[in-house]
Parts: sequence; structure tokens; C-alpha cells
Amino acid sequence: MTFRYDDNNKYHRFGRYALVTAMSLVAFVLVWWVVSIIADTNVLPTPLETVNALVDFFEDGYLGNSAWDYIWSSLKLFIQGFLLAMVLAVPLGLVLGFSKTLNTFVTPVIEVLRPIAPMAWAPVFIYGISYGTGPILVVFIGIFFPLLTNIIFGVKKIDPTLIDAARTLGANKLQLFTKVMAPSAVPYVMNGIKVGLGVGWMCIVAAEMYSPMSLGVGYCISNMCMSGLWPSTFAMLIVIAVLGILTTTTAEYLQKYISKRMGVE
Amino acid sequence: MVNQNEVITNEGGSVHTGVQEGESFIEIKNLAKTYKRDEVETVAIEDFSLDIKKGELISVVGPSGCGKTTILRMIAGLLEPTAGTITIAGRPCKEPGPDRGMVFQDFALLPWRSVIKNVELGLEIAGVPKEERRERAEKYLEIVGLEKFKDSRINELSGGMKQRVGIARALVNKPDVILMDEPFGALDAQTRNIMQAGLVKILDKTDQTIVFITHSVDEAVFLSDRIVILTKRPASIREIIEIPWPRPRDRASPEFTALRKRILEELERENVLE
Ligand SMILES: Nc1ncnc2c1ncn2[C@@H]1O[C@H](COP(=O)(O)OP(=O)(O)O)[C@@H](O)[C@H]1O
Ligand SMILES: [Mg+2]
Repeated sequence: MTFRYDDNNKYHRFGRYALVTAMSLVAFVLVWWVVSIIADTNVLPTPLETVNALVDFFEDGYLGNSAWDYIWSSLKLFIQGFLLAMVLAVPLGLVLGFSKTLNTFVTPVIEVLRPIAPMAWAPVFIYGISYGTGPILVVFIGIFFPLLTNIIFGVKKIDPTLIDAARTLGANKLQLFTKVMAPSAVPYVMNGIKVGLGVGWMCIVAAEMYSPMSLGVGYCISNMCMSGLWPSTFAMLIVIAVLGILTTTTAEYLQKYISKRMGVE
Repeated sequence: MVNQNEVITNEGGSVHTGVQEGESFIEIKNLAKTYKRDEVETVAIEDFSLDIKKGELISVVGPSGCGKTTILRMIAGLLEPTAGTITIAGRPCKEPGPDRGMVFQDFALLPWRSVIKNVELGLEIAGVPKEERRERAEKYLEIVGLEKFKDSRINELSGGMKQRVGIARALVNKPDVILMDEPFGALDAQTRNIMQAGLVKILDKTDQTIVFITHSVDEAVFLSDRIVILTKRPASIREIIEIPWPRPRDRASPEFTALRKRILEELERENVLE
């Protein structure tokens, strides 16, 4: 019996996807390995040394704290920044989407602030406000703007005939909002969350490096680096990458699922 | 004014209005609409008066861009007239309301709701309890032949099925009148014919008053009790034709083809005349 790949079979498609992905990762590790041997420097450990350091990190922790302490510390900042962004961006985005005047009034301010890299705010917030809330605010800035612009866009994209339809069915203002406008905007809110989470996660690691108070993965990696613990440093890079991938893929999955449920592709 | 008790017992049309079948029901007097944008004024409707009778299907045909949608949106209360009045059973209609249902050319269904939840929307807005809502929506889905698809998502349906949901959504609220703006305009010719036949069946069952806008003369002759032929913009009434024939009608019959031809010629003259 010979095997024939069939693109219409979902198991075949998944098998192919898994195989190619695995090959990509294996190739990456191989190249890394070769480069680390050729380079022959402390700074670039081999994959094996890195994996050993990773295992050590999770078994023994670092500087008296467990791996999960560091991870949880970062996640806590991240979640706080995210919630703050949601609480402010969702109502503001909805209002700015509906009110032309307010939108015209606020847009210049947004357009001036938006292009500033979130990391440029890090020293301002951390040294200017506080070591504790500073990193949260940096994450907040990273998530806030993509979220806000997506929500404004979503509200503007609401199909006016859907509004007409609900009005002819007798909907009052509140019902128009709850039954048509809010559900229409949900997929765009989700898209904003997806983009925002990606930016936010990049911010948190960098922001922590500025803050002598924080105890997260960003603090951890800069400390390891400065102590010359290169295999541990690389292990931390892997931890950071995996956490970042987890947040964005979760957000992406949620966004796709919700958009599909809401009938928007 | 609408009496609360009568609204609840409203079954099979507008019992609560006290208007009998065939009596003048919607009165449009000296209606006019001028759109203004920057310095440009577009006179869309000028001195348009029409009485619509209870239980009739009246269609409005006219050259494209002459103002048909404008008239319908004003009856719906979605657009304010520049002059003139519209009353339903004596009540002025200034705001949109559930007494006037609307069916849209591009369906205007909420894609995040299932078929039955779309049909329930008006009842939900009116605060009808959940179980009654379900029951009534199911009944109307059955009338339009979609009972098997009640839990489907909108984007799984064909165009014809979508519009049947749109019709059920309007019917279920038992409005005094349903306003249809080229409801089958987005459908292919074959689906169109099927939908027209379906609408005739619904008319048998419900005595629904319908204002039907179309640019298809064939469709108008097939469906209507009366046809209003509009002039080109600014729209006013060129002629009203009564069609006393019973439905369903035979498109191949000589009187059908003769009438269709006559109306087409009339519309053509309207387009050529300057
Ligand atoms: N919102 C609007 N602003 C300005 N002009 C409009 C607007 N809506 C429609 N019109 C104009 O009014 C005329 C009638 O439009 P409409 O009622 O949509 O015609 P129909 O439905 O018969 O095709 C057209 O010339 C159209 O360009
Ligand atoms: Mg039109």
C-alpha cells in the first residue's frame, strides 16, 4: 500500500503541517548548534547547554525565587496593563466611533501620541511615576492604541442598514446599542486585543529592565546576562518566547472563533 | 391611538387600527423631499399623494433613481419629509415603529444571530417572553418554509433563503404594513420567480398590507392589486393601474403580457420625455 497525500483530508493536512513545522524547528536547532560550535564563545551556548539551564531554572529557580515566581510576576503586570487598557479603550473607542465631533476633537491628540514607541514611555513612567506602576503603564500604552483604533474602526464599519432594520423593528437607542452596535463591534475589539497583546508582551519584558522593583522575566534575564550566565540567559529567552507565543495564539484563536460566531470572516 | 388590549389580541394583521379590509389605510398627502448637500439640492419627490388600502399589495414602479426608496423610507419613518404628511389609520408616522415592517434589498440580517434569533428580533425588542417568541418565530419560519433551518447561521444560507428570513422577520411582528424595497432585486431570475410565488402564498394566508417597490414590471404585474407608475425624478404619480385578477397569475396569459407591455411602454415614454 502506498501513501498518497490528499489535501482534502484534514488529517493529511494536519500531518503535513505538523511535519513541516517540526522540520523547521529541527533545522533551527541544528543551525544554532553548528553556529554555537563554530563561534566557540561563552556568549552563545549550545542548545543542549541551554536546555540544561532551562531545566535547572525550573527545578532550582534563580536567586532564591522559583521560575514560576518570575513568570507570575510578569504576567501580573501584563494582566493589569491589559485590563487598564480594556477599561479605558473600549468605552472611549465606542464613544469616539459614534460621535463625529468628539472624534475630530480627539484624533489629533491620538495621532501625536500613537507613533511614540511604547518603550519610549518606560523611563518616564518608571522613574517619573513609580517603579511599581510604571511597567504596568508601559504595557497599557502598548495595548491601548491598537485596541482603541480597532474599536473606532469597528464602530464606523457598522452596516447602516442593520441600524435601519432594528429601528423599523421598534428598537430604542439602548436596544440599538445592545442588539446591533455592540455585537457588530465585537470582532474588531477582538482584533484590537490580538494586536495589543502582542505589542504589550514585548513591552513588559523591556519595561521590567528599567524597574529595580520588578521581579519578572525581564529583570531575571538582564540579571543573568550581567552575571555572565549565558546558558540561563538563553533559557530565559525561550521562556519569554513561549509565553509570548501562548498569549498571541490564544488571542488569535479567540479572535477567529468569536469572529466566526459573529458571522464576520 | 393604539389601545393596549387590542394590540395583544392583534392576530392576522392590523385588527387594532379598526380599519376594514379595502378601506383607505395609509394616507400620503402632498409628500415632498429635497435632499440638500453643500450647495446641491436634489428634488427627489414632489407633491406625491396616495391612499393605500388595507390588505392590498400595492407596487411602485419607476425609472431607477426616480425616488422610490425615498418614498418608502419616509413611510418607514427613517427619513423626514420636506413637506407633506403620512398617516396610518389616522396616526402620523414620524418615527420608525414596529407597526411598519421593512424588507431590505440586501436583507439586513444580523450575521451573528441564528435564523430563528433573527426572526425573533422584533419580538425581543418589544419584550415578548422567550417561549412565546420562539413559538411565534417558528410559526413564521414554517410559513416561509425555513423551519428546518431555524438554527442555521445566516452566512450558510442562499440569497433566496436569506430574504425569506427577512420576510419572516417582518411578518412575525404582525405589522400594519410591510414595506419592501426591491426585495428580490439581489436574486437571480429563477429564485426571483420562486420567491414571488412564495409571496403570493403568504398573501393568501395573512392578508398583509404590502407596499412593494420594484423595477421589474413583470414582478409588479404578477403580484400587485394596484401598480403605481412614477414619473422620472422628481417623482410624482404618472398613473395607477388596478389589477383585479386573482392570484396566482399566469405569466403566459394574453392579458398578462398585454398589461406588461403597456406598462413598459409607459415607463419608456417617461424615460424619453424630457
Ligand atoms: N442621502 C441622499 N443625499 C442626496 N441625494 C440623495 C440621497 N439619497 C438619494 N438621493 C438622490 O435622490 C434621488 C432618488 O433616490 P432613490 O429614492 O434612492 O431612487 P430609487 O430608489 O428610485 O432608485 C436620486 O437622484 C438620488 O441620487
Ligand atoms: Mg432604490
